[in-house]
Amino acid sequence: MDVDPSKILVRYNVAKEKAQTPEEMAAELYPAEEPAKSICAAIFDGEEDDVIEGLEKAIEGGADPIALIDDVLMVGMKITTDLYDQGVIFLPNVMMSADAMLEGIEFCKEQGGAAPEPKGKIVCHVAEGDVHDIGKTIVAALLRAAGYEVVDLGRDVPVDEVIAAVKKENPMMLTGTALMTTTMYAFKEVNDRLLESGIKLPFQCGGGAVNQDFVVQYELGVYGEEAADAPKMADAILSGKGLAQLKEQFHKH
Amino acid sequence: MVKRYTSLAYKAADDMIFGKSVYPVKAELGLEVGAGYVTAEVNYAPRPEAGVSKEKLVSEYRRLTTDIMARAVQIGFPGVALETEHVEQMTNNPDRGGEVAHVQKTIMEEYHEEYGIKSALRHTPGDIRENRDLLALIGDKYDKLMESFEQVADNGADFLSIETMGGKEILDYSILRNDIPGLVYAIGCLGSIDMTMIWSDIRKIADKKGRIAAGDTDCAQANTAMFIAGGLLDKNLAHTIAIIARAISAPRTLAGYEAGAQGPGKDCGYENTIVKAITGCPITQEGKTSTCAHADVMGNLVMQCCDLWSNESVEYHAEFGGTSVQCWSESLNYDAAMLNVATETGNAKMLRDILVLSDKYRDPQGYVLAYDNAYKVAESIAKDGDDLYLRAKNAAISCVDILNAADSSKLVMSKFEINALNNAKDALSAMTDEADTFMSDSLEKYKAEVAVFRPDDNYKF
Repeated sequence: MDVDPSKILVRYNVAKEKAQTPEEMAAELYPAEEPAKSICAAIFDGEEDDVIEGLEKAIEGGADPIALIDDVLMVGMKITTDLYDQGVIFLPNVMMSADAMLEGIEFCKEQGGAAPEPKGKIVCHVAEGDVHDIGKTIVAALLRAAGYEVVDLGRDVPVDEVIAAVKKENPMMLTGTALMTTTMYAFKEVNDRLLESGIKLPFQCGGGAVNQDFVVQYELGVYGEEAADAPKMADAILSGKGLAQLKEQFHKH
Repeated sequence: MVKRYTSLAYKAADDMIFGKSVYPVKAELGLEVGAGYVTAEVNYAPRPEAGVSKEKLVSEYRRLTTDIMARAVQIGFPGVALETEHVEQMTNNPDRGGEVAHVQKTIMEEYHEEYGIKSALRHTPGDIRENRDLLALIGDKYDKLMESFEQVADNGADFLSIETMGGKEILDYSILRNDIPGLVYAIGCLGSIDMTMIWSDIRKIADKKGRIAAGDTDCAQANTAMFIAGGLLDKNLAHTIAIIARAISAPRTLAGYEAGAQGPGKDCGYENTIVKAITGCPITQEGKTSTCAHADVMGNLVMQCCDLWSNESVEYHAEFGGTSVQCWSESLNYDAAMLNVATETGNAKMLRDILVLSDKYRDPQGYVLAYDNAYKVAESIAKDGDDLYLRAKNAAISCVDILNAADSSKLVMSKFEINALNNAKDALSAMTDEADTFMSDSLEKYKAEVAVFRPDDNYKF
């Protein structure tokens, strides 16, 4: 027994595919001049050695290593993240590009002896009792790729430690991920302890069993349905949006 | 030294069917799994605030267990299985898991006595063998985990299960980098080594307490891949990579049976059809009735060879139709009734094939897991069943070959999926046939690249 599936399902992903390949689309976005073009291509391809080679050429040509971070590396990374946002490339491409870009940043910092100013600082953690951290790893990588400094507290982080880190680091945003229903209850405790301390910062929560209905129960919580929401939320904060506006933008139900 | 499977329990794929397995298992309160009928297995999670104390947790499970049993009686279902997947508070405090099992089994016994309803209780302690910074598969937490198994077995759990984490430190790294050898190493090699250890010990506890060592699932790895892959428009992972991870998970899950598990396999083990072909042991599956927990692209197909039919997990709360566990257990039971009517009327294979064909071409994942193709993957595993590396590699190659041989007018894949498949094929072709070489090369590579990988402590290299 077999069936013609054409009346049973629609492969929307095939139907929506662009005529151009991701590589062709990326190539149209690279800077015209060298070695910036090659460096951006190497970031898109996730080729760390090629990124370093391109940076060496640029520095030999007189470029300021620290300026290269914003002028070339971040430009190359943005091509990758923009194509990811458009649904053209997959997450592993972004992760590999981010690895290549971060290695490039470290190289530039070593060469220049200084560090560039990040767009902002964000503290990330996995809820107390929860050791599932792949979601947090993705969130942290996407934030770093977008130019933010990430203080990664890791997984199974006690509430006390989250509060202490927020007080010490004074971040623009806190993120929390959890897989299980009973571990995500720690988010509410974090919220209450922050408010007790008079700290009002956006607390982006997501992952596994976490849903918007739970997150809206506490004042600072903003629900992030996708890991890719994290840098968008950080950008929204930078543009001046407050908690209410963040909830309006990111809460979907 | 465990005995590895080198042959299949079924002579032909067509012999595989829902409700029937070669080696059924029987629970204390009369429920037989794989003995010719399908039964609902209801799975649930407590509300977030229930975790704050032992009393609240036990009360939550008392109420939801009563709800499920009452609904089965209200609607007239002959049997039901319950699965309690531990929240971390229960496994880390084994007396809490034990108390919950005791309360649940007591309620089930009361319903068995009063109404004759057959039931079985599965407890699934959480894999707590992780420190904050790294996997610690052997040590204090392992001992606590075994204590948890002892407690739930003592207090009435019929089936003992777990979702183990061995290999996850490498999987988390490699799955986000399309690293196929990394998947083989994480799931097929490291995962199987861990499974062989832990299931030997779980079987000892089960035998000592008169319980059944049920089975594992590669939830931490293959399901992570499936969840990241998401739906048709998600761009987080190619679905062709997700199904390669799933194929590799079958020999890993098999290692649990080789070390003493007897089934029913865990619900979220979408690899279970492959495993059933080899072991002949009963399996639980989840699909269209687990949409309360997650979406997938094979909701009907995966029912094809199930012996228990599960909803994966639902938070306990109120719905219009009753509590959530009542609503989902009712849906599960109606599905089971339909399957059992098909069996009673001689139409089981017809229904199985309808279920399969409704999803077989929906996605590469369902295509490979359709029982005819799953059987081919099973054959490739058994062919080199004595070699943990080779059988995992075989599974991946078999998966790629099945997809490449598919009728492209029916299984329509996107360019991304095809590219990922081609890249995977190239990566597999470049891999050695020598297990020792692969293991030593991988050890060196991932020790250098993954800071939390502790092979000496966890896998005894």
